[in-house]
Amino acid sequence: MKILGLSAHYHDSAAALLVDGLPVACVQEERLSRHKNDASFPVAAIEHCLDTAGIQPEQLDAVVFYEKPMLKFERILTMALRGWPRTFSSFPQAMKNTLGEKLWVKGLIKSWLGVPASKILFSEHHRSHAAAAFLTAPTKEAAILTADGVGEWATLSLGRGKRAAQKTELELLREIRFPHSLGMLYSTFTAFLGFQVNEGEYKVMGLASYGTPRFAGDVRKVIQRTDDGAFQLDMRFFEYHTTAKRSYGQAFLDLFGAPRAPWEPLDLGTEDGKRFADVAASVQHVLEEILVDMCRRLHDETGLPDLCLGGGVALNGVCNARILRESGFERVFVPPSPGDAGCALGAALLADRVHFGQPDRDFPDHPYWGPELDTPELARVAREDGLTVTEVGSDAELFERLARELHEGKIVGWMDGRTEFGPRALGSRSILSAPHTAEQRDRLNKSIKFREEFRPFAPAVPTEHAQRYFDIPDAGLRLARFMSGVFPVRPEHRDNLAAVTHIDGTSRLQTVERELSPRFHALIEAYGRVSGVPVVLNTSFNLAGEPIVNRAVEGYSTFRRCGIDLLVAGRTVVTKERAAERASDDATREAAE
Amino acid sequence: MGEIDTQLSQKPVHIRPTGVDTLLRPLHRWVWSDAHRRAYKLLRFAETEADGGRDIARAAELTSDALLRRLYLRHATDELRHADMFRGRGRAMLAALPRQAAGTEANWLAPGERGLDDLQVDHEHDDTLLAFLHLSERAAAMRFAVYREVLGGDPETRAVFETILRDEAFHMNYTRKQLERVSPRRHGVRLWAARLHRLWKVYLRFAAAFASVMGGFILAVQYFVVLPLFAFAAKRQARREARGWVDARSRAHTFTGQYG
Repeated sequence: MKILGLSAHYHDSAAALLVDGLPVACVQEERLSRHKNDASFPVAAIEHCLDTAGIQPEQLDAVVFYEKPMLKFERILTMALRGWPRTFSSFPQAMKNTLGEKLWVKGLIKSWLGVPASKILFSEHHRSHAAAAFLTAPTKEAAILTADGVGEWATLSLGRGKRAAQKTELELLREIRFPHSLGMLYSTFTAFLGFQVNEGEYKVMGLASYGTPRFAGDVRKVIQRTDDGAFQLDMRFFEYHTTAKRSYGQAFLDLFGAPRAPWEPLDLGTEDGKRFADVAASVQHVLEEILVDMCRRLHDETGLPDLCLGGGVALNGVCNARILRESGFERVFVPPSPGDAGCALGAALLADRVHFGQPDRDFPDHPYWGPELDTPELARVAREDGLTVTEVGSDAELFERLARELHEGKIVGWMDGRTEFGPRALGSRSILSAPHTAEQRDRLNKSIKFREEFRPFAPAVPTEHAQRYFDIPDAGLRLARFMSGVFPVRPEHRDNLAAVTHIDGTSRLQTVERELSPRFHALIEAYGRVSGVPVVLNTSFNLAGEPIVNRAVEGYSTFRRCGIDLLVAGRTVVTKERAAERASDDATREAAE
Repeated sequence: MGEIDTQLSQKPVHIRPTGVDTLLRPLHRWVWSDAHRRAYKLLRFAETEADGGRDIARAAELTSDALLRRLYLRHATDELRHADMFRGRGRAMLAALPRQAAGTEANWLAPGERGLDDLQVDHEHDDTLLAFLHLSERAAAMRFAVYREVLGGDPETRAVFETILRDEAFHMNYTRKQLERVSPRRHGVRLWAARLHRLWKVYLRFAAAFASVMGGFILAVQYFVVLPLFAFAAKRQARREARGWVDARSRAHTFTGQYG
């Protein structure tokens, strides 16, 4: 069967194509359209998936949308009614926003793909999350927890799944409904701290390490536990359910003080800076407290050893590691794309296994489902621009050279194979650097990533060496495969891994498997032979405000606009040869004037 | 229209504002007189420049013309630097001012670079893109020229505009020159087509704004006329809802429905 899964219209739209139960291609629209967090209908992603499989839309057996648009509209309308007349200002906007193409998804799919209505299916948002988490994990039976801002009505769901040769079961047991939402709680604090919602949540997690949770008691006033182990938000503190202008209310400000303006530099040496860090630490603390408790109860209830986490909240690596440590589950699985983009894959898998009753298949345990790298393009554009291009004879020679360059402090733009599906660079489109000094971290922040100093960088380490440098349990090695957990750096290595050790001594590491990423693995090993430490700093290959690069020429454009020293695609190495660049610039200027 | 000195140098750039902007100088002076408004406008300009830089970097990735790619990359880097300059100045001003939320920015009057244009780089050919960029850069340069003139009381912000104007002059000139190169016979047509396209976009923006106001009005009427009864029922229902978990097993789930 050929099933196309789609997610769109909120953030991170994506397409995923399954052929006979296994993925052929999965890609976020932003990687192709080059618009960060592109939420538009994923036309380019669909085209890429169909091209990769070499099929036409009419050959599809089903197209599955990741949520139920009418049910979502019901929630939006109901919230407008419940908030009447305070929803006066947001109502027209909400209706105009929803009554456009967001509500008429079936027609949209029909018009773009030309498939009959009978082939268009709809999953539920949290079922799609649950499927993306469970049906991609190497487990036969697991408890499932999904949490995000909101889907149709559900904001957090608990369930369980069971895979057998001929029958897959995925059951959601209970859920918490909008407006009570852990995702919205975290996003509200994200906005309060002056970061962009749906984008800056990582920053809150990074900032939390600089603070102490002295506001935890106040956060618990805002979110209260219920007798049955769920939670509810005290909506007097919030406005996101009544207006689109601001997510927190005056009562929230009375509790936590004035918000940070987005333009305001975050100076942790000032009183305000400390307060913001403490607020971040407090909301992080309470989030962990609630999720760990829920997972503990879920473990007691199901008695299962495995837990699959899905939804945007599962991107919180600090919380995931704590769940692994404290909830009682032996293994915790988070897919490489737990957010809405991953729902495209989840919806397709769910339709395949549950709706069509197709037999269970072991899911290839890697994230490399995006477009393949077009290496020759890099050599062509770099040569046209007069830069030095080297075609290295063998992989071994290439890795030895890169290891030496990294050890000398060079920053490498690394592109290899198919792109990752999900928000993290896992060795296909990465910026790499030596992980040893804080100066190197600062250089990356200032000349390449142009981002806040408090944000940590992540290390990549071959799985077999991870426990030597990081205090990570055996089960954590799998969690770290997709950078889904934050673990302590062993104290004796912190000084030598300063660029990737966060203020609290932790690191959001990626464990690299030889079988899954052989070239990336070999490069890190080569670096280990040169430096004595087989660990590299790995950050996503993009500039602020841009999606991660996809094509070689996009990597080249990024390389030319920032302080990356070497660019590598396949065995092609491009350097910013000064003389050549000057000559080229002179020629450019001459030609231009 | 204003006149433009095509020389690139470190000397002040002689770009004159348009006649309309010259006439509106008192209004521009008022817009830029308030320090808070000035600072917030600079921050917004920073975003616009950064967005513009991303568009031009995209153009560099898409073009098959090596010279254009190099120029676009340089242009994109300039835009990023402008964004930093605007942001830095805006932040410095706000840090020195008493805390106050952003008020009216009068963006319709002082939109910044490409503030009124949305660029669909992926759908443009080299010549149409160059024509668009030329007009856009030219308009921005003239606009920045009037801002520079009315910022006599704030030499630091004025210096920012002065520096950026120098780059704008380069951008304006190279886009024109390259348009003539890639479309030697039809560059004039391309420029007129771009002008008409901009006018069409202005019309579309007004039409969309008008439709939005009308739609908003109709929905607001419905909100107060039709919804109260339903709102009463919804509030009543909400009060009956239990706290905590909702059983998800009892809910039927099908793949065929958009509702359940």
